[in-house]
Amino acid sequence: MTQILIQGMLLSGLYALIAMGFMLIFSIGRTLNLAYGAYLLVGGYVYFWLCQQMGLPQIVGFAGAVTAGVLMGLLKHRLIVKTLNGDHVAIEISTLILAVVLQAGVVLLFGDSSKILLPIVPGVVTVAGAQVTFNILTATLISWAVIIGLYLYISRTHTGRAMQAVSMDAKGAALSGVDPDRINLITWGISGGLGALGGVFFASYTQLYPGMWVAPLIISVAVVIVGGIGSILGTLVVAHIVGFMEVGVSSWSPELRGVFTMILIVAVLVLRPQGLFGREETH
Amino acid sequence: MPEFVERGTLRTMIQACYLAIFAMSWDVLSGRTGYISFGHPFLIGIGAYSTAILSKKFGVPPEYSIPLAIVITMFGGLVVLLPALRIKGSYFALVTLAFMELMYQLVQVIRPDLTGGTRGITGIKSLTRGAEAGYELAVTLMLGVALGLWLLMRTRFGTALWAIGMDEDSVRGSGLSTTRLKTMAFLVSALVAGLGGAYYAHYTGSLAPRALFDIDFLFTIIVAALIGGAGTIIGPMFGAFFLIFLLEWLRPILPGAERYFVYGGVALILYMYQPKGLVAIAQSLRDRVRGDNYDHRA
Repeated sequence: MTQILIQGMLLSGLYALIAMGFMLIFSIGRTLNLAYGAYLLVGGYVYFWLCQQMGLPQIVGFAGAVTAGVLMGLLKHRLIVKTLNGDHVAIEISTLILAVVLQAGVVLLFGDSSKILLPIVPGVVTVAGAQVTFNILTATLISWAVIIGLYLYISRTHTGRAMQAVSMDAKGAALSGVDPDRINLITWGISGGLGALGGVFFASYTQLYPGMWVAPLIISVAVVIVGGIGSILGTLVVAHIVGFMEVGVSSWSPELRGVFTMILIVAVLVLRPQGLFGREETH
Repeated sequence: MPEFVERGTLRTMIQACYLAIFAMSWDVLSGRTGYISFGHPFLIGIGAYSTAILSKKFGVPPEYSIPLAIVITMFGGLVVLLPALRIKGSYFALVTLAFMELMYQLVQVIRPDLTGGTRGITGIKSLTRGAEAGYELAVTLMLGVALGLWLLMRTRFGTALWAIGMDEDSVRGSGLSTTRLKTMAFLVSALVAGLGGAYYAHYTGSLAPRALFDIDFLFTIIVAALIGGAGTIIGPMFGAFFLIFLLEWLRPILPGAERYFVYGGVALILYMYQPKGLVAIAQSLRDRVRGDNYDHRA
């Protein structure tokens, strides 16, 4: 039982970080960025390339991964989202195509086989009978630090509050002197950075392989749908529900691990489409 | 036709025919009503698995197992329909995606003795002998589906589906039951998906969960419909042939999954340039050549 609690806490922290970037984009433009998983893919591979193939220090790897993610986010906003003028269906479809293109690009550069990312911090500690690797512990601690930082940024700074305003009502925000386009661009950048950082941890937790973007995307979708739009707290709580559910179910029957997450998505969407913590959408 | 081409090309043509059927099935629902389904592999998979299980494990002859599979798929369509009656837009796309993933995981866990678990089912009875007969069957099916859908879309039902895509509230406002119309669209789409899936299972002879309930497969279907031209009958067929042959031509240069890099890139650029697809591009080219100045897109 303690083992499930500890593992659940650790995994949930990571899931919360991953889902956060997806939630930001979804709440600011109601845009489903289906290429969100590709940030994780690119982040993981950039880290792998810099640290394990070039032998550079880890901090360079992290910086490189996050920079790549931010750049991708900015480019995506400029080239796809702005060009398509906020047409949701078109954005969903083009980001889906983009994700498949990026996956194929990774295959082209690094090959089809999966790679092992060395633990970011090696070592294992046994807590109450549970094996906790320093790797996942570090990932969780950094995730929490980033989430708290993000929360402070959104609630305290001027730009952060402008982001909230745009997510509530873009027209109203524009009337009070906020440039929604600039805020959108910043949000896409932040989302990309968060995704890429999450990707490094996720890859070190599981494996690095070209198809690794699908699972985190589905998890993010689940967390955001169940949590509701525009709620950091909701995202955090639901990331823990999903994380604990996965750890709990897989200790009982590993192959059913993802089934309950899917059932949760469908059930919440049918019974309470605005999510457990979300605002009621007027339109 | 079969006399003039090599056997390999014939197999590519068969692939294209089945993809065209899947793309048309997607298009009836998503291309017209604007409810984007990310779960079509879910429906196709139900059709394929049903006929495979019925004919392989229970010895039902294909002439019964295929119609049964289609009926089962239509029931599956109703399951997806229920949430769709309440939610719209992006949320609908997500639910269908969740259904596909759910199916992928369940197929491996529930009754693996029937579904073959992770490895899937092999040795499904083939309906035809040789590539020529397989090709004739695939083309007949594709043309049959196309004709059926074309006739259906010419009725008032087709017009009403278009109208839902433009403004659902107005359709309801003019006294039509959008629920009934959407139910019909789902059933037609599921029927075509089940038909395509069932015949496809008998053609390939094997099924694997990761090949069916997969984002790459979904991607191929959606891209075929969109690149050709959503909301038309000829569009999805055209798109399917274009993409399958593009993939085939790339094979000597890029043998593995890298092909999707070029393929997806082409698809992305085409889609961003003209979301209405190749059919619309061809139309505007024809107008330019003829010197017609008015704009069809207006």
